[in-house]
Amino acid sequence: MRLLLPGHGASRGCALGRARVRLPHVLEVAEERISDVEAEVARLHAAILVVRGEMHATRERLHGALAQEVGEFLDLHALLLDDPELLRGLDALIRTGRYSADYALRLQRDRIAAVFTGMDDAYLRSRIDDIDQVIGRIHAALHRRIADVEGVAGEILVTDNIAPAELAQLQAQGVMAVVTSGGSALSHSAILARSLHLPLVVGAAQALQKINDGDVLVVDGGLGIVVREPDASDLRAHRARTREQARERKQLNRLRREPSRTLDGVDIKLFANAESREDVAEAHALGAAGVGLYRTEFLFLNTDTVPDEDAQFRAYRDVVLGMTGRSVTIRTLDLGADKADRTGLVLPYEPNPALGLRGVRLSLSRAPLFETQLRAIVRASGYGPVRVLVPMVSSREEVVAVAALLKRVARDLRSAGHEIAEHIPFGAMIEVPAAAIALPGFIDAVDFLSIGTNDLVQYLLAADRNNEALGELYSPLHPAVLRLLHGVIAIAVKRGKPVAVCGEMAGDAAFVPLLLALGLQEFSLHPATLLEVRRAIRGCDLRALRSRASLLLRARDRVGIERWLHSVPPRIA
Amino acid sequence: MIERELLISNRLGLHARATAKLVQVLSGYRCNATLTAKGREVNAKSIMGVMLLAAGIGTPVLLRVDGDDEADAATAVVDLFERRFDEDS
Repeated sequence: MRLLLPGHGASRGCALGRARVRLPHVLEVAEERISDVEAEVARLHAAILVVRGEMHATRERLHGALAQEVGEFLDLHALLLDDPELLRGLDALIRTGRYSADYALRLQRDRIAAVFTGMDDAYLRSRIDDIDQVIGRIHAALHRRIADVEGVAGEILVTDNIAPAELAQLQAQGVMAVVTSGGSALSHSAILARSLHLPLVVGAAQALQKINDGDVLVVDGGLGIVVREPDASDLRAHRARTREQARERKQLNRLRREPSRTLDGVDIKLFANAESREDVAEAHALGAAGVGLYRTEFLFLNTDTVPDEDAQFRAYRDVVLGMTGRSVTIRTLDLGADKADRTGLVLPYEPNPALGLRGVRLSLSRAPLFETQLRAIVRASGYGPVRVLVPMVSSREEVVAVAALLKRVARDLRSAGHEIAEHIPFGAMIEVPAAAIALPGFIDAVDFLSIGTNDLVQYLLAADRNNEALGELYSPLHPAVLRLLHGVIAIAVKRGKPVAVCGEMAGDAAFVPLLLALGLQEFSLHPATLLEVRRAIRGCDLRALRSRASLLLRARDRVGIERWLHSVPPRIA
Repeated sequence: MIERELLISNRLGLHARATAKLVQVLSGYRCNATLTAKGREVNAKSIMGVMLLAAGIGTPVLLRVDGDDEADAATAVVDLFERRFDEDS
């Protein structure tokens, strides 16, 4: 019989499929006493060891941006697993209460939950989910069950709660949506589900009582609704929504092999930003012109050592090989004091790392570190076209110093018998306003430019993009940003140097007409939105946009810029 | 034993991330460490304990460290509070 189960929408998207119910890890464990206390304590600790191993293995399986996002949650779970209070409490329950490890877990969990549920702060209150997940894993390990969820492609997982690392895994297994009876839209899992585009409904309180394995469900992660045994009108509504989504997907997928060509026949180059092997493979499959920004920080993050030349070389070479002859732009280390604690680098504390020793400044102050990286990049050039991109440039002196070092490294490697490219193009990131303004004074020293709009906007507007209190103060739709972009692009074009935008602005299809009007012909963006941007480009008339550029540059405020954007919508076939 | 009075001045207060940092910093020291706020004292090396304090921005907390390396541990924690748990960067 049809049943509507209201919950809270935590991640948009809809799905129709059969339910796979996973009952909670820790359910009603009956009170149980044991006689051999030491054996029971040992059993508990063996289970904890297993869970620690599982968490470590999950962490190893994650790559790139996902590793960073999920890694933080895994760290939290790892700390909970090792929490001295949690462990002491469990040991005490077993030793003094002579309870079984299972029952001790339940008692301890209930004690903690009682305190958490009484908290005023909604965010902290929902951390009981994290504790439940950790305790649930220990419980599963006690029974030698693998706590890792098994998802079945095409099914909808219904459970009490879901851990962030499990979500990443479920999506890889093809699970279409997740419904939880507990949880909140503020949870770490909800944040992650949104970035994975995996539909998620949380807080569907009756889900576990009312849904059985195999029931047919319609899930709408936007409205936060689950329908069991949907009727004709539910199915009709669902079909309409999915048709909409499918049409969009199909339309986009057709563009994989199409050129990024404007209506008036101008080819725009779309490069991909990448940091993992998966990104590179996807960039290749989507027909990207190359990798326009290969971030090298992840090689240094989450490790206690600094990767040596050979390790770096292998990583860079693999990207070059993965792109089969299309160009790969490798950005040298872009780190500052704010992230150094997660690397093997030792950097002094800085009160203001955004304005501190970071990017090329750090590289130039650590000659051996920088030279090692340049050698690894130059060696990779023997396997396909490679370009070197240097972040955080603010003066001619820096550009000249890097160019000289690069030249020397290439000479050394050549005379040592390495096969390397004859010329390795060298470019500067334009992200410090000073570099944008002083560009005519150093453009002769570089081969190409890449505008990092994320930092450029932040520095130009003196607005931290992570500071929610600033609201819309951080926005690329500011006349100062547009004029600066226009100026940089115009100088580069005049001097015959390729110029790309590689910030998030380039990956937002809504900004395509604006960037084209400003004269941009190269974009570098995350593969996830490459097809949307290509579709927008194919709907733009470049000549018409260029003729309206002066109108855009005369806009006096955000509203004026938005009005201009509304006046030039791309024609989407 | 060393005591230090501290003020939570990061935007999010002692939420999961900040708490994780505090616990990670203290795990490098052998001394015992507690935090007291709103009349409750918890083990500062326990992420659960610290989260249960639910100390938001503006809350005064008292750090107590006791052991061989108490001076270094106190310095490290004070430093972390002064950096506002690196949240603002």
